[in-house]
Amino acid sequence: MHALEVSDLTVRFEGQELPAVASVSFTLEEGTIAVLIGPNGSGKSTVLKAILGLVPYEGTVRVFGGPVGASYPRIGYVPQRLAFDQTLPLTAREAIRLPLPRRPREEDEDSFRHVTRILGIEPILDRPLGALSGGQWKRVLLARALVTRPRLLLLDEPEAGIDVTGEETIYGFLEHLVAEERITALVCSHELELVTEYADVVLCLNRRLLGSGAPEKVLTPESLSSLFGATPALYLHHHEAHRHGAAPRGSLL
Amino acid sequence: MSAALDLPFLQRALAAGILVGLATSFLGVFVVIRRSAFFGDAVAHASLAGVALGVVTGLPPLPVAAGVGVGIGLALNRFERRSRLPIDTILGFVLPFFMGAGILILSLAPGYQPELLSYLFGSILAVGPESLAAIAAIVLVAAPLLLRYRGALVFATFDPDGARVSGIRVDRLLVLYQVLLAAVVVASIKVVGIVLVNALLVIPAATAKMVARSVRQMFLLAPILGVGCVLAGLAASYGLDLPSGPSIAVTAGLLFLAVWAYVSGRRASALKGART
Repeated sequence: MHALEVSDLTVRFEGQELPAVASVSFTLEEGTIAVLIGPNGSGKSTVLKAILGLVPYEGTVRVFGGPVGASYPRIGYVPQRLAFDQTLPLTAREAIRLPLPRRPREEDEDSFRHVTRILGIEPILDRPLGALSGGQWKRVLLARALVTRPRLLLLDEPEAGIDVTGEETIYGFLEHLVAEERITALVCSHELELVTEYADVVLCLNRRLLGSGAPEKVLTPESLSSLFGATPALYLHHHEAHRHGAAPRGSLL
Repeated sequence: MSAALDLPFLQRALAAGILVGLATSFLGVFVVIRRSAFFGDAVAHASLAGVALGVVTGLPPLPVAAGVGVGIGLALNRFERRSRLPIDTILGFVLPFFMGAGILILSLAPGYQPELLSYLFGSILAVGPESLAAIAAIVLVAAPLLLRYRGALVFATFDPDGARVSGIRVDRLLVLYQVLLAAVVVASIKVVGIVLVNALLVIPAATAKMVARSVRQMFLLAPILGVGCVLAGLAASYGLDLPSGPSIAVTAGLLFLAVWAYVSGRRASALKGART
């Protein structure tokens, strides 16, 4: 059984002549990290939202063989950004516990302790969200998505707004989750370096799926040029160079 | 004052005040975090049409107003989803239209309408057994529902998409919230009046927000402040022979200003300390 099966997915927004995404089909096996790449406006976030059932779509989406609604809340979702009242005294602890039942079971409490410990956010649990840095905030969102012990995790640009160390923490944690707990992750990203380092499968999207497969097969200069309209500019990720003592891979500017 | 507590009208006033103070200020936390203060205000003003229908037809005005308020709450939810107009524009239509209709309907009733003022500015000391029963019924239905769905409502406010993915039926939940808000607002009309309804709906929760260190604390603090404002306002009204609704509203406002001054002063001192 596939972890995720997307077939002929088309999303149209009211008042727009062209579909936001058209005829997108792919499958993901359990325990893989798939990364959806594409330029701004290519429909990456729309694909995630359609999979989650948050926007109307044509086509079929099946999660572990069933309709997506049947898998709630075993799907975790980390949005790219969240517009909320920064003066709201909602603490990190309260935000992470929001998806838990009103009377949490022992396994929910264990899960809460596990994700907050492993993401290193125990010291900030009683701070209001408005007082957190971008990296802390992302880790809180990730913890909230993981606290229900999801089997499928969707992340919309988890590296947006955080520094290189924060990126590594999140992707490293994702790799650990996939390896240890057989979670399947679908990530939207602009970070080609992280894609090549962590992804098992890359999906190239520009309203349509232009290609998919292992990073080394898909991320060729030709395919990137065709996807982004030009060869992407790259910048140095120092941590990569330090860690591997090798020439760094690139990231889209 | 203790002898006065033996008076049935004052006992009813206290019971109505405590019930309404608890319900409005607890619900007020959602109103403040959802930024829907104008919704409560619009429903309160629009429910004058229900009060007027009750007065003209001889039916008890508060239950009729509750029916109209809840109907308007449901209609607003539908209208908001189907219309391309923003919610504040829709409320800007609802408030004057229904309030105007209420005043027109009242003008059809023969003679002077002394009750109108009590609905506009509240008359807690004139709460009769019928009104108290209506207030109690509304609060006793609303309170367990609000307690049960408190976490889900906070989630749906903070991150509606995340709440949906967690299996919460956000649209249904928001309909429930708007219906409860409309019902509780109408229940508070006898206490503070249509014009001053936000005194209990917004001010205690906004005051609590300034000092609370978590949303949980906000939910604990707001009802305490709400009931405190009602009791203090009622005592001032009784002792100084002042109108009750405005006394409660001014008490709540003074408390808000005092807490705001304290919090601002503390923040200024902290900033000054950090610079030196």
